[in-house]
Amino acid sequence: MPAASNSEYAIEVRNLDAHYGERQILNDINLHVHHGEIMVIMGGSGSGKSTLLRHLLGLNTPTRGSIKLLGQDLAHNSEQAMFELRRKMGVAFQGGALFGSMTVEENVVLPLCEHTELDENTMRIMGRMKLEVVNLAEFGDLMPSELSGGMIKRAALARAIIMDPRLLFFDEPSAGLDPVAAVELDELILRLRQAMNITIVVVTHELESAFKIADRITVLDQGMILMTDSVEAVRNSDNPRIQSLLNRLPRDDAIDADEYMERLTGI
Amino acid sequence: MECTTRLENGFTIIALCGEVDLHFSPKAREIILKHLQDKNHVLVDLSAVTYIDSSGVASLVEGFQHARTHDLKFALVGVSKAAMQILQLSRLDKVFPIIANATEAAQL
Amino acid sequence: MSNAAQNSGLHPAIRLVENIGRKTVAAIEELGYVASMLAESFYWLIFGRRQQQPVRLRNVIAEAMRIGVHAIPIISIICLAIGVMMAIQGIQTLKTFGAESKVIVGLAIAITREFAPLIVSIMVAGRSGSAITARIGTMLESQEIDALRVIGINPVRYITAPLLLAMMISIPALTILGDFMGLLGGGLYSIIELKITLPIYFERCAAALSWTDISQGLIKSLVFAAIIVLVSVSNGFQVRGGAEGVGRATTRSVVMSLTFIVIADMIFTYFLNFA
Ligand SMILES: Nc1ncnc2c1ncn2[C@@H]1O[C@H](COP(=O)(O)OP(=O)(O)OP(=O)(O)O)[C@@H](O)[C@H]1O
Ligand SMILES: [Mg+2]
Repeated sequence: MPAASNSEYAIEVRNLDAHYGERQILNDINLHVHHGEIMVIMGGSGSGKSTLLRHLLGLNTPTRGSIKLLGQDLAHNSEQAMFELRRKMGVAFQGGALFGSMTVEENVVLPLCEHTELDENTMRIMGRMKLEVVNLAEFGDLMPSELSGGMIKRAALARAIIMDPRLLFFDEPSAGLDPVAAVELDELILRLRQAMNITIVVVTHELESAFKIADRITVLDQGMILMTDSVEAVRNSDNPRIQSLLNRLPRDDAIDADEYMERLTGI
Repeated sequence: MECTTRLENGFTIIALCGEVDLHFSPKAREIILKHLQDKNHVLVDLSAVTYIDSSGVASLVEGFQHARTHDLKFALVGVSKAAMQILQLSRLDKVFPIIANATEAAQL
Repeated sequence: MSNAAQNSGLHPAIRLVENIGRKTVAAIEELGYVASMLAESFYWLIFGRRQQQPVRLRNVIAEAMRIGVHAIPIISIICLAIGVMMAIQGIQTLKTFGAESKVIVGLAIAITREFAPLIVSIMVAGRSGSAITARIGTMLESQEIDALRVIGINPVRYITAPLLLAMMISIPALTILGDFMGLLGGGLYSIIELKITLPIYFERCAAALSWTDISQGLIKSLVFAAIIVLVSVSNGFQVRGGAEGVGRATTRSVVMSLTFIVIADMIFTYFLNFA
């Protein structure tokens, strides 16, 4: 399957604009992700990372521009084609989004139950294999509410890869984890890519994690892409906003006194 | 995506080929389990497999489990590098008997 | 908010009209949303299997357990109590005409046509309708609905359709139970006052009842079932703003369900009796 790629890019975003109501959140986003590449989307809080991800997942519709996943345009896809496409992508949400009414194992095998006609025994084994992959083998029978934060993230990852997807999206894998768990999760992402040749998009604001796993990094700032380039190039960029993000400096914009007073007083 | 089977030194050698994915693995599973139910020792030859996904691996696990509970021999032959990486991901490379070629089967 | 600012200079009457207009548009929009959800649920129930996206029997059974089976004790108690109360009031009233033995006819018809379906639906709206809204709202807030969609599971097929089917089985079944418990309650009091035995009481009930009485109650209960599901699900999907939003939607959902049930009951009773 990995060999059969019908388009040059796994993900292709062109001139994407997005709004929440009147407010513009994303501004003319252009992004290409190669097959088998790990692309990290970085940016400060509120820069629009999660919004971009929601658009890539087809959960929100853009106000302008187009998104192609595996060569298929999300806007012009039929329901059936979209359904087929969704079999080939896995998503691990920031908060896990495990179904609270099911055990961990039931959560993990749910996509199989819905998309395949496999024997139940095969499904169960596949689910347990994925739980092995994320080191949660003993916890399949627990409910999501009985898991710790890091375990939830790993369970969500197990569910995301159950169908052996070609595209994997991961929102904030290491946020809120202790350093050891975060490093383990990074290693896991790298191993997954190596073994299964998945194209992976990771949203994060953890620098170390980004530098470790990324092939290329896209830096978002206030809804615009500042740069998309290799880890080295991003590290050495002399763009002040990128530098302040990298060096964890507070924002130091020039202040327009009139405008500032207007914001405070409303006059 | 045809499976061929042949008998050699008391082993049934099942040669899978092509892509062992969601579509094909139910059939592979059926063939493997059928030969085990007939009380044959089984070698699964993966050398012609270009891609195996976790449903394929799960079918192999089922076969191996069946063999273990019925005192039959079971091993994988000709595991490619790509297939090996899939096995390693869930540490199954340390669980399956894996041999380089069918002649080694005598030592199992 | 910007609208309020624009309007502030207008005459209050015009503002009132504009507000009414806006509310009407919103209500019609919601009605359209609910109607399309109803249609979509039936679509999945009927054609889902052909599209290889069936409505799972397992989900339907799980919902039917929660909505129906677990409600059996409370429905039994309440319907029994209401039967007793109706018998007391009925006998007291009819005594003045010396016609207390006619109470059985009144009880039988009032309970099967009116009270059993109404009480059952009100109980289920309070018990399950609120829970459904809260559950869906929480799933929305925790991105579980998003997760369903990215897995390729249509939320209407996976959540609404099983609920609708389970509700349309459970509420009529509970209504039959309510019929029986209500009559039993009425009987327990009547046999003392009228000095008859329970078998004779039920015989007279049976003589007083026709199939239309019971089927009228059941038809209504089906409509109430649909109302509860649609109101509570659509409120759940409209939750915004965290735990507080879930709480608000839950309250709104129960109040709306009860209102619509009573109004629908009135309309139905009119048409089933006069049209
Ligand atoms: N549902 C929503 N409705 C309206 N505005 C929203 C909504 N979600 C996000 N926003 C706005 O969009 C902007 C971008 O938000 P987004 O969640 O994409 O940021 P982010 O880069 O993911 O930030 P973080 O790192 O804090 O998660 C923010 O200014 C936020 O206020
Ligand atoms: Mg975010």
